Amino acid sequence: MNLGRIAAVAWKEWRETIRDRMFVLLAFLLPVSWMFVFGYGLVQDVEHIPFGVIDRDHSALSRDYLYRFFESRYFSFQGYIPSEKEADGLLQSGKIRVAIVVPEQFEERLLRGQSLGIQTLIDGTFPLRTDIIKGYVIAINSAFTGERLVNYLARRSGSSVEQAESQVHPIRVEVRYLYNEEVRSTWSMVPALVMFTLMVSSPLLTSLGIVREKETGSIYNIYSSTVTRFEYLAGKLLPYVVISSMNAVILWTIATQWFQVPFKGNPAFFFAASVVFVLTSTGIGLIVSLLVRTQIAALVITMVVSMLPTILFSGLIVPVSSLSRGSQIQAHLFPGMYYTNIVRGAFLKGVGLEVLWLDVMALALYALLLRGAGYWLFTKRPRS
Amino acid sequence: MKPVWTPRIQRIILWLRRLAVMTRKEMLQLSRDVPIGLLLVYSFTLAVYIAGNGIRSQLHNASLLVQDSDHSVSSRELIHKFRAPFFRLEGEIHDPREGLRSLDRGKAMAVLEIPPRFHEQLMTGEPTAVQFLVDTTNAPQGLSAASYAVRIISQFEQEIVLARVGGTETSSQKFPVIVSDHRVWYNPDQNDSWFESISHLLRQITIFAILLPAAALVREKERGTVEQLLVSPLTPFQIMLPKVLAMTVVILCATAVALFGIMRPAFGVPIRGSALLFFTLTALFVFSTAGMGLAAATITRNQAQVGMMTLLVVAPMMLLSGLVAPMEALPTWTRNLMILSPLRYFIDIANGILLKGSDLSLLWESVLSMVLLGGGLFGFGMWRFRRQFD
Repeated sequence: MNLGRIAAVAWKEWRETIRDRMFVLLAFLLPVSWMFVFGYGLVQDVEHIPFGVIDRDHSALSRDYLYRFFESRYFSFQGYIPSEKEADGLLQSGKIRVAIVVPEQFEERLLRGQSLGIQTLIDGTFPLRTDIIKGYVIAINSAFTGERLVNYLARRSGSSVEQAESQVHPIRVEVRYLYNEEVRSTWSMVPALVMFTLMVSSPLLTSLGIVREKETGSIYNIYSSTVTRFEYLAGKLLPYVVISSMNAVILWTIATQWFQVPFKGNPAFFFAASVVFVLTSTGIGLIVSLLVRTQIAALVITMVVSMLPTILFSGLIVPVSSLSRGSQIQAHLFPGMYYTNIVRGAFLKGVGLEVLWLDVMALALYALLLRGAGYWLFTKRPRS
Repeated sequence: MKPVWTPRIQRIILWLRRLAVMTRKEMLQLSRDVPIGLLLVYSFTLAVYIAGNGIRSQLHNASLLVQDSDHSVSSRELIHKFRAPFFRLEGEIHDPREGLRSLDRGKAMAVLEIPPRFHEQLMTGEPTAVQFLVDTTNAPQGLSAASYAVRIISQFEQEIVLARVGGTETSSQKFPVIVSDHRVWYNPDQNDSWFESISHLLRQITIFAILLPAAALVREKERGTVEQLLVSPLTPFQIMLPKVLAMTVVILCATAVALFGIMRPAFGVPIRGSALLFFTLTALFVFSTAGMGLAAATITRNQAQVGMMTLLVVAPMMLLSGLVAPMEALPTWTRNLMILSPLRYFIDIANGILLKGSDLSLLWESVLSMVLLGGGLFGFGMWRFRRQFD
């Protein structure tokens, strides 16, 4: 092994990369732009759900009840609907996502102290949204029920409203939100985006950079040179590791300074773990580049192996513990999950190596295996 | 006797024949790229299956630890209500610090703490309090877990209150209580695998529709073979169109395989509308998005650049068009920006035809937007291409 030769290869690679203006621009612009677009765009607070009302009662009480939906920031009223048939058309075209049906004798029954059902027609195409809508409707219904019940009991037993209140609600639920006390979507999203961005952009950069040399044929210079396999791979990867590490710092700065996400952990630990992760993600790019011959194949394959599993299985949106058994196994096979634990742990939980050592170990093992496989796959004698 | 063609018809035939030859060339070129072929097969079969089978966007199996300091009938009854599919009881702890440690490690998502004398207080009508600690590093999921917990506890509470106040009457009939009665349309069981497999299919179509033609065009530019094409009697339009045509055919076949080979048999995804309409509009969508890729290809010089360029566009499209988070969850500016994303309209179209059984009379707005957008992009790509080489 000759350090001088490694430096020479790395220097050559660096020059080649920075001479391609567009490539440099995208190597740095892409991560930053994703961070801003998704950091602002991917806030998952479902609000302003368009809804319609079929009011068959038209009483003071039904208006009082519906008023809770009109006032709620979670719903946005689109108008009264004469019948279920029209509701169907509106639901089909997506003009409304939910229709609330107030039955006849709504007021009468409630005042007489009888129970009744409120029907809601919900668009089921997006199960998550359906679930959220159900939750909102139930919350409004049970708040309304609680008030009616308190009034009713107070009147029936002749006790005061406060007494009836404590009778109706004997259990107080204290919910404590840990780590992200204000439950801000941004706070949970932005750290995970550091993972997403590094996980997708650095393998891409690496695989394209290496395949470019294969495709243009300049790799024959390497084949005929004195550079050994190890020196070539080490030197070749170095610039991409450096670029990706720089990106990690840039993304961290954007997250903490621009998005004001608290960083409760130890920066030294975080950056060290990030370098381990970058070694892993560039390793993925290396493997892809050794298996394919054209840049387009490198591009598409890197995107499919890095982007989709990262969106689906890294804990970015759905926590790994909620996945099915088979998907959990897949999640453990991709490095994204471990780094998500590290990023969210370091940013929001303020934990370090003492808790996350297993994740760091997994990443290190991953990086080592990928390098080993890369070394084994790369031969200086071109296959005919 | 040879038929007599008028010059005009002859020209059209020649034009079509050139188109056919070029399309065949593109197909051949694509079929020789083995990695891409394998990837295409994987993406439209196994990947769709995995996505439909594995992803649950709703709260599912949230791991819950319980600290029960009461060990009474009531506390056990309450704990028993936290169950699948929303929660998964991970075990019982005796020390609050233990709960915090598990949350730190990410081993549990929530901890439910029931105070001592819980049962006694409930029976005597004293107020009591239950604590629910939830990890909100994933805010939407944490919030969802908390809202389910509150829902479960308040239902438990209502049962107890009604039983107590009503004395012998256990039914809630005699109280002014509103019962929430939901009817979920189009996907009555809220079957996640329908939504997820359709979404995944749309994601794959988008990726391939943008990348394949764009990369094919840039490859010609990079290798210089485009010069050969330009000295041939082909117009720029005849060079670009076959690329898109070939990819459209390939993607349509792959879509058919995914739909009839995976999604229908494995998940029972319905096709309530017209299958023909679905495939026609899919072709239209592929055309629109391919225009986007071609436009990118004319701006860039090599494949690496076109890749980075499309990523700049593809990733936001995939995450913000309404497949990962519902449109209602996104801020206004995102929704406005996504007016420019053909995928956004295609989602409405695909869900509309497959799940809702809609026809053109309901979908025309989305279709029109998609066509206009795609036409615009394709036109822009053509204009750039022509300017570069004429």
